[in-house]
Amino acid sequence: MERGRLIATMQEILGPQGVIHEREQLRTYECDGLMNYRVIPELVVLPESAEHVQKIVQTCYDEGIPFVARGSGTGLSGGALPVEAGVLIVLSRMHRILEVDLENQRIVVEPGVINIWVSQEVADEGYYYAPDPASQIVSSIGGNLAENSGGVHCLKYGFTTNHVMGAEVVLPDGSVVHIGGGKVPDAPGYELLGAFVGSEGTLGIATKITLRLVRKPESVRTVLAAFKDTQEAGGAVSGIIGAGIVPAAIEMMDALTIEAVETQVAPGFPEAGAILITELDGPEAEVASQFDKVIEVCEENDASEIRIAEDDEERALFWKGRKAAFGAMGSIANNYYVQDGVVPRTELGAVLKRISELSEDYGLRVANVFHAGDGNLHPLVLYDNDAPGEAEKAEKLAGDIVFVCLEHGGSLTGEHGIGEDKKKYMPKMFTDDDMNVMQLLRCAFDPHQICNPGKIFPTPRLCGERPGPFHMHPVQKAGLAENF
Amino acid sequence: MTERNGGRNGSGDGSEDRYSATDATERQNPAGTPREEAMAGAIGAGSPEDIGQSTRAAGDSIQQTVGQGRAESGSYMFPAFDDHHPPEKDLIDDCVHCGFCLPTCPTYVLFGEEMDSPRGRIYLMNKGLNEEPMNDEMVRHWDLCLGCMACVTACPSGVQYDKLIEATRGQVERRYERRADDKAFREMIFQLFPHKRRLRLAAGPLRLYQRFGIGDKLHRSGVMGRLPARMRAMEALMPELQKEQKIPELTEPVGEKRRRVGVLTGCVQQVFFSQVNSATVRVLAAEGCEVVAPKSQGCCGALSTHAGREEESLNFARKTIDTFENLNLDVVVVNAAGCGSTMKEYGHMLRDDPEYAARAKAFSDSVRDVSEFIQEIGPVAERNPFPVTAAYHDACHLAHAQGVRKQPRQTLKQIPGMDVKEIREAEICCGSAGIYNMVEPEPAAELGERKANNILKTGARVIVTSNPGCMLQLQSSLKKMGHGGLPMAHPMEVLDASLRGEPVETLLDA
Amino acid sequence: MQTRRAPLDDLQEIVGTENVREATAEDAVDGVEPSLVVEPGSTEEISAVMKLARSEGLAVAPRGGGTKRTLGNPPRELDLVLSTVRLDEIIEHVPGDQIVRVQSGVKLETLQESLAEANQILALDPPEKGATVGGIVAANSSGPRRYKYGTVRDLIIGITVVLADGTVAKAGGKVVKNVAGYDLSKLFTGSLGTLGVIVDANFRLHPRPESARTVAVEVETPQAAREAAQAIVHSQVEATAIELHWSESAKLLSVLLESIPAGIEAKEEGASFLLKSFGEVRTLTDEETDNLGPLSPPGEEDEVALKVAAPPAELSAVLDSVLGAAERRSVRPRITGHAGTGVTYVGLSGGEDALVEVVEEVREIWVRRGGSVMVHDAPTSFKRKLDVWGAGGDYLGLTRRVKEKFDPGYTMNPGRFLGGI
Repeated sequence: MERGRLIATMQEILGPQGVIHEREQLRTYECDGLMNYRVIPELVVLPESAEHVQKIVQTCYDEGIPFVARGSGTGLSGGALPVEAGVLIVLSRMHRILEVDLENQRIVVEPGVINIWVSQEVADEGYYYAPDPASQIVSSIGGNLAENSGGVHCLKYGFTTNHVMGAEVVLPDGSVVHIGGGKVPDAPGYELLGAFVGSEGTLGIATKITLRLVRKPESVRTVLAAFKDTQEAGGAVSGIIGAGIVPAAIEMMDALTIEAVETQVAPGFPEAGAILITELDGPEAEVASQFDKVIEVCEENDASEIRIAEDDEERALFWKGRKAAFGAMGSIANNYYVQDGVVPRTELGAVLKRISELSEDYGLRVANVFHAGDGNLHPLVLYDNDAPGEAEKAEKLAGDIVFVCLEHGGSLTGEHGIGEDKKKYMPKMFTDDDMNVMQLLRCAFDPHQICNPGKIFPTPRLCGERPGPFHMHPVQKAGLAENF
Repeated sequence: MTERNGGRNGSGDGSEDRYSATDATERQNPAGTPREEAMAGAIGAGSPEDIGQSTRAAGDSIQQTVGQGRAESGSYMFPAFDDHHPPEKDLIDDCVHCGFCLPTCPTYVLFGEEMDSPRGRIYLMNKGLNEEPMNDEMVRHWDLCLGCMACVTACPSGVQYDKLIEATRGQVERRYERRADDKAFREMIFQLFPHKRRLRLAAGPLRLYQRFGIGDKLHRSGVMGRLPARMRAMEALMPELQKEQKIPELTEPVGEKRRRVGVLTGCVQQVFFSQVNSATVRVLAAEGCEVVAPKSQGCCGALSTHAGREEESLNFARKTIDTFENLNLDVVVVNAAGCGSTMKEYGHMLRDDPEYAARAKAFSDSVRDVSEFIQEIGPVAERNPFPVTAAYHDACHLAHAQGVRKQPRQTLKQIPGMDVKEIREAEICCGSAGIYNMVEPEPAAELGERKANNILKTGARVIVTSNPGCMLQLQSSLKKMGHGGLPMAHPMEVLDASLRGEPVETLLDA
Repeated sequence: MQTRRAPLDDLQEIVGTENVREATAEDAVDGVEPSLVVEPGSTEEISAVMKLARSEGLAVAPRGGGTKRTLGNPPRELDLVLSTVRLDEIIEHVPGDQIVRVQSGVKLETLQESLAEANQILALDPPEKGATVGGIVAANSSGPRRYKYGTVRDLIIGITVVLADGTVAKAGGKVVKNVAGYDLSKLFTGSLGTLGVIVDANFRLHPRPESARTVAVEVETPQAAREAAQAIVHSQVEATAIELHWSESAKLLSVLLESIPAGIEAKEEGASFLLKSFGEVRTLTDEETDNLGPLSPPGEEDEVALKVAAPPAELSAVLDSVLGAAERRSVRPRITGHAGTGVTYVGLSGGEDALVEVVEEVREIWVRRGGSVMVHDAPTSFKRKLDVWGAGGDYLGLTRRVKEKFDPGYTMNPGRFLGGI
């Protein structure tokens, strides 16, 4: 379809205010939270309702135009990177909270609703929405759903997939389905919702999402413990888990991170090789007893300092220090590359050791901040973009770190997704058969391969159906994939 | 390359720049409002600052839009920026594209488009540095920025957006050719507002206009509806005029003299809200200050600075420094948020001027917002009970730009009987933003309405805020919603009433 | 229908003579008798068997403990039963990481015993004795603990499957937090063996609770049951399970509370306090607790067993609708349910036509309100009169497309699933 006509068609659906087509404006959408990859979209559209989305997708399907969905554009794997000659569907204007049903502990929202709004909406009633990625003040529910976002509380409470109960989805062919039971459990049929969450926008666009609300706990206690190094702190973590305690959150930061955070935010953290922040929540009596045990374990592991948060303000300060970690890197380095890897918790010690070895080999500093309870690491590779060759070195080091994670039985990504950034590593974790079988799912949802094509899998599997009326799939044309 | 120290102390020339928006006091203080703290506590999600933004989505569909009703001139400049103070690459590179600024940016909240967010605007600046020209589209999005600096407060990486937008606006004013009517309108504003005498002259006919209800007649006859949006906006902003109170040049302290301070009487403040100035002087005197209000003072240049009219703003800055610097003052006290913020910036603004650089810095170091100052020296005068429920509205240039949030609240809470309510979405601008509500009336009106709704929800009987621009904007918005009678006051007016033992009615009926 | 004959020799070559046998009536599924039962001992063998089955055009039904045989509609065809009984290894248990990797033929009881040695549990407690891990995943079986811990989909973190064409694929991994690739573990959960054979699965574990108490309240009306359940659901007590038992002899809402010794009393007190406004409250003894089960009726002789899924707050409406429909047709209901999550199990005895009417009525009510009524156990004659699943939603087309991608030849359990898939 010729560009002018496409613009006119979209303007007819959305009104002129819903279509962005001027070059400078398109450029602001050329990347999401990951700036390493940029593609200028052909067009950016901003639907305000599910009907809009359906019509946009229908148009794209009829004309064979690929599209990418985007929420707040804060993803860290390039999942919302536009596709060349494609449409970028931005859902930030679908930001209404549609229904609150506290009796059934459900809330229905549009995909552009910001994560934290959900908790704010029901806070007065004593409820909240548990998945709390660090980006929660800006990331959208739709984006969280696409990436199956985690957060510091996911060890105890689970991830987005455990809190999404239903969704209205516009499939890539423009049809609309309702998957998951919403307020009702165990919808008959396949667990389509479970497969959809975390599919990184490659299977369709969710236009209404039913979330589960959690009752606020009776009691919350937080303790900050300082250790000589991450190994010791790791020992404390093992002790806590071994004692049968499931903390609401348990986070670790290493010396370099502590330094950065102190410089930028000054929460008053003790000087240490590693800091562990542990939070327990639940019924008062249970928490009180387990909390004592946590402190005991920290002491047994030679914590140099133990600070119990006396009040909400102090607790907020601990967490502020932790959550400011990424941003604070700016104060000790010019640039940083945030990696996301996950290893079995029991392998953390060995992996951290390996990371520090790599850091020495490469001559680049690596700061570590991670979710100690589930082994999800965020190594921050620090470098200087202006120093020639350092950016490439940093990327390579980040890649090596991911391989170390795999070697130790971990995964390519714990939270940020594969997106564009980690496609190339997929063959390290999965065989061709594995990936082919996964793509069977994609073919069922998106036979014409127009929905966020090119993400997750390094080689697209053509679905055996003729895509649209117009042309051969460019990858097929280039001889890079076969119709199989 | 800018020296990377804490990254916060601005100009990077190593000197201690007293003013730095990113050095805002409140950023180091994690405690937000009580509700925010409680929320943060209960769900253990992190610091209140993470949750502090209680911004909700705009309930209705988008009103304002890209490219619609926009004064496009077709001007085109490539490269976008020249060498005189372009937005600095190093500052731009501080932005890691995380997007934390989006939910707190008023235009992003309204429009939901990337280009009208701080992240997007910085991106446009970046592209302008060497890839894209300066044209209608780029300028449009920079113009739509309110300069409220909520993004500076929210940014976890310490991006100095304030410096970036100021540099950019300077470039736009010099290099972008505005459409003739747009240009004329802006000129008119700047020929009028920074000049007290001209304002007074306009005030005269304005009083007659109001006395004879001409505005109402124009509304009822339908003529008002047919005037251009900007004219209607200005008309709606006009306050009910009082007789101007003169401020004496010297006021003696009550009791022991603790400080000798100067006060800026301002332009709009003095002509339209002179009672605020009188109250300020009385309060300072009551707290033991010898108050000097030089007659020769003029405009501090805030409006010009924030609009990027560089030469004009520097001239105002120099004159202001000249007026105040040799008066042996301990501090210069300012009761208008926008003015205080700019005066604290003089050091940075005049950094290139060898004659003024050091003097400007010294001057900026001596500037205080009046609430900030009172809390600094510690209140001594006896406060009488003043039982009223008040909603405190954070002016952007006080809260975000100067980081002064706690002090005005403390000042109010020190008055027995005061019940100070927090306004939801406190961090979102009311839409005043200097001349914004005159040049961009539609988004300003939406923001004003949003803020007015949030204020009404508090159930307060009086609104307290530290900026004349906010006062005008809120009055206008409330009036449009049929609540024009809701009283507004400056914190100093409230404190003054309390110190003088006045009953609450004096403020409410004023 | 003619059961196709699987080539015995070829099968024997793959798995060994002793691991293939002739099927008997015991191996029938809803009256459809296969010809052979094969018991492969490894992934490779399974893959080879499936390749063979596909090329011969056979219909295959995987089977673990055989406890789910009654689920689904009667099969369109069934030629070969693929038993996982020899895949009985616990591959890896890492207590420190709280994960276990287990082959699909391992019985849940066996697994729990092994995990208990490290003071851990797999937080699944379906009632069927002898069920294997593979069957539990394939059927999405759950028990009372789903209230606190979720169901299979919330606990499974990795899976290895063999597709109908013999392809072996894995998804997920052995870490709890993992978003690499599609979540096929979830797709296969509840797929009832129609997408492929589950070879092994990885799960996240939980610490074994040290103390437990069950507090029960006698409820006289459906409304009281609902209110009592809601009181617990919306409190901060953090119960482990909320169960409804409703029959002629006993109408009880029981709340399972688990904690550390230092916390159990407070929970017990809290729950008792909340429940006492709804009826008589008492803490059950161990014996009484044991006698409460089985908590979901597996379906006696001619009983038709239903699973009604509705919004949890609608519990009383569910009870009313079932009791009303049953009474009007002289059908005797036995009701249990996971009162906190909206899942209610109903066992109905009576004349077959009356039973069909009851189910149709209840189904009509709850489907209209966004829920579902599934017949999870019934005599074959009943199943021929009424689809066990109901109509399904607007996602049926998508469901079919998924099936056709994974099993284009309809080799796996044809006809048993939703929409006749």
